[in-house]
Amino acid sequence: MSSKIFKPGEMVDFVVVGSGSSGGVMARELSQAGFSVLVFEQGPRLDAADFEHDELKYQYLHGITNSPLDSPQTFRKDATATALRPDHANPLVYARIVGGSSNHFTANFWRLHPVDFHEHSLLGDIPGAALADWPISYEELEPYYTKVEWEVGVSGLAGSSPFDPPRSRPYPMPPVPVKSSGVLMELGGRKLGLHPYPAPLAITSQVYRGRPACVNCGFCNGFGCEVRAKSSSLYTMIPEAEATGRCEVRSSSYVYGVGVNDKGRVTGVHYFDAKKVEQFQKARAVVICANGAETPKLLLNSKSNRFPDGLANSSGIVGKHLMFNQGGSVHALFEHELNEYKSVQVTRVIHDFYNSDPKRGFYGGGGIDSRISKGPADWALDAGGDLPLWGPALKERLEGYTRSMVCAGHTTSLAVPTNSVSIDPQLKDAWGVPAMRVTYKDHPDDLKIAAFMQDRAAEIMDAAGAQKIWRTSISELKGSVHLLGTCRMGNDPTRSVVDRYNRTHDVPNLFLCDGSSLVTSGRGQPTLTIEALSFRAAHHIGEAARRNEI
Amino acid sequence: MASPSTTRREFLLGGSSGLTAAWLGANWPVIARAAQHAHHTAATTPGKFVFLSPTQAADIEALTVQIVPDGKTPGARAANSVYFIDQAMATFFSWRGAEFRAGLAQFQSGFSDAHPQAAVFAMADAQTQAAWLHSVETTPFFGTVRQLTILGMFADPKYGGNAGGEGWKSIGFEDQHVFVPPFGYYDAHYQGFVPYPGSPAAGAKQS
Repeated sequence: MSSKIFKPGEMVDFVVVGSGSSGGVMARELSQAGFSVLVFEQGPRLDAADFEHDELKYQYLHGITNSPLDSPQTFRKDATATALRPDHANPLVYARIVGGSSNHFTANFWRLHPVDFHEHSLLGDIPGAALADWPISYEELEPYYTKVEWEVGVSGLAGSSPFDPPRSRPYPMPPVPVKSSGVLMELGGRKLGLHPYPAPLAITSQVYRGRPACVNCGFCNGFGCEVRAKSSSLYTMIPEAEATGRCEVRSSSYVYGVGVNDKGRVTGVHYFDAKKVEQFQKARAVVICANGAETPKLLLNSKSNRFPDGLANSSGIVGKHLMFNQGGSVHALFEHELNEYKSVQVTRVIHDFYNSDPKRGFYGGGGIDSRISKGPADWALDAGGDLPLWGPALKERLEGYTRSMVCAGHTTSLAVPTNSVSIDPQLKDAWGVPAMRVTYKDHPDDLKIAAFMQDRAAEIMDAAGAQKIWRTSISELKGSVHLLGTCRMGNDPTRSVVDRYNRTHDVPNLFLCDGSSLVTSGRGQPTLTIEALSFRAAHHIGEAARRNEI
Repeated sequence: MASPSTTRREFLLGGSSGLTAAWLGANWPVIARAAQHAHHTAATTPGKFVFLSPTQAADIEALTVQIVPDGKTPGARAANSVYFIDQAMATFFSWRGAEFRAGLAQFQSGFSDAHPQAAVFAMADAQTQAAWLHSVETTPFFGTVRQLTILGMFADPKYGGNAGGEGWKSIGFEDQHVFVPPFGYYDAHYQGFVPYPGSPAAGAKQS
């Protein structure tokens, strides 16, 4: 818990909005650099002892995620459609607790590859999309990838994939023990001439920096880790930030606006405290790390005479280019028991199809992993493409739980200008803050690469000896937990929101760093890149602050 | 090596003989705090229905039994899915209650209109029930009951279903908090990761 408590009205060097993957890194780096840092988190502070193996609570009752009951969203597929509140769920989902979504993610921890940063130069324009190069290269980000892997703790086997991008250090921990799904995917993949390799995971395989090794309980995806083995910000960056004595994490505090002065500089943040009382916190600079949905929402809700279209939105693209990640998976049944509910979700990955290949006739690439990503209840409700609705056939399928696995594709989503997070003109949340409206329709190439990857996954499972294979339906996405691209990074202020150091083009003391900064979607698993960007941005923000250039 | 027979509660309380003190010390510094947090997973003894009337409960239970019947292992009846549904509508899914009641009323009246001789779904024979379900299986109400039946089999027993962990047992899910490899048949027979020729990892044999 925070030992530092800033006094009411006390000016701080930095307010960081959001305590998740990026916010945690930002808080640690800036506070360790000697600055005073106040982190705001919408949700409560929980610890390992507060988490449970409770599927209903976390998957259906929004135990740690944004709830449609108090924080509703609307969805439409394009601007011609009426935006409606989906039943019982929000389109854009994230964990609303200290540590954010780094608590409940699967912990797949893939680096981007060098090609991700300059696909537009390689492939040119794609009709209907705004494919662009990043303003930075893989080589510039590599030191920060390495820093993440060692600072938060990642297990893996460097160089085990022929497609592994260049790296300056190996992983700090060996891979976690392989599961039967990994063995089978490796078997099938190698038969087909592919190159399965041990999955890099933000999960400890041995005692690391005072945290225990994973105990293989199996409740990773969608759950907070009960033994502190998942390398979430809650267990890594946040405690180290607080240990400096210069960082306070103010939980259950909802930032709804950013204050600006007549010079066009931010002055602090407006927020609701835990009692829903409006407050203002002064800051010399603000870093918004609220995720790819909440960050544009906060900017668009921070209108003023000087920024009538929302803060840092002179380009008009705040909230636009929303990207998820498509997929394309198969369920497979084998002769013997796999017991996939035991241990981490993923132990083998295939990146042979990572690059976009013009010979396929469409843009896109992806990775494939082996898993069963859900607990028994969620699996039983969604165990494959033609899951019987009811009766003996359903019962028989359910009885195959321990012999089942998923071969899951994770693929690209193109940046489409009309896909966006905007502000709903009518809907407000439980605090009276205008709610977000999601507009999303997959680019046709997104669906094609998902189908392509599903075909590869089916081939792998067939080669592995699956008794039966079921395909999941490939359809247009109506939501995601990967919230990307809505305040994209770039050199041109008319076509991007933040510069190459995550400073907004419009406001010198306002920075944005989270999934919103990503220019392209990668192939799923964006968290490592988000944290690497945050380490890099924090380094440059700190240097700029020392030079009095903020 | 077999997994230690460790329930979550046993693990949290540090009472498993399969785990050494050194292991526990290294693996879980917060075990003392977590022990206090341990929730029960014991079977919930069904009481009387709160949301459903006895007639409604009978129809809903008959529906759950059709949706997940007994097979090689017990189905929704043994797991008390109907009690889960009752608890759900009375408490954590109460905001869906009005829609549920309306759907159930329509389901019941539709059945009795079509089967005046049977009148009540729960009293009809299994073939009649199944035939009727085929005609309504695309309705939102059926979808809701299907979802709740399955949740009632596999959600934590503290919510009223999954009695004694019967749902979990029926699919082979072990309610334990710690497992050690091998986890399944195939990883038990795995020979280790062999790096690809020429790769930087060549020479390293890993699990």
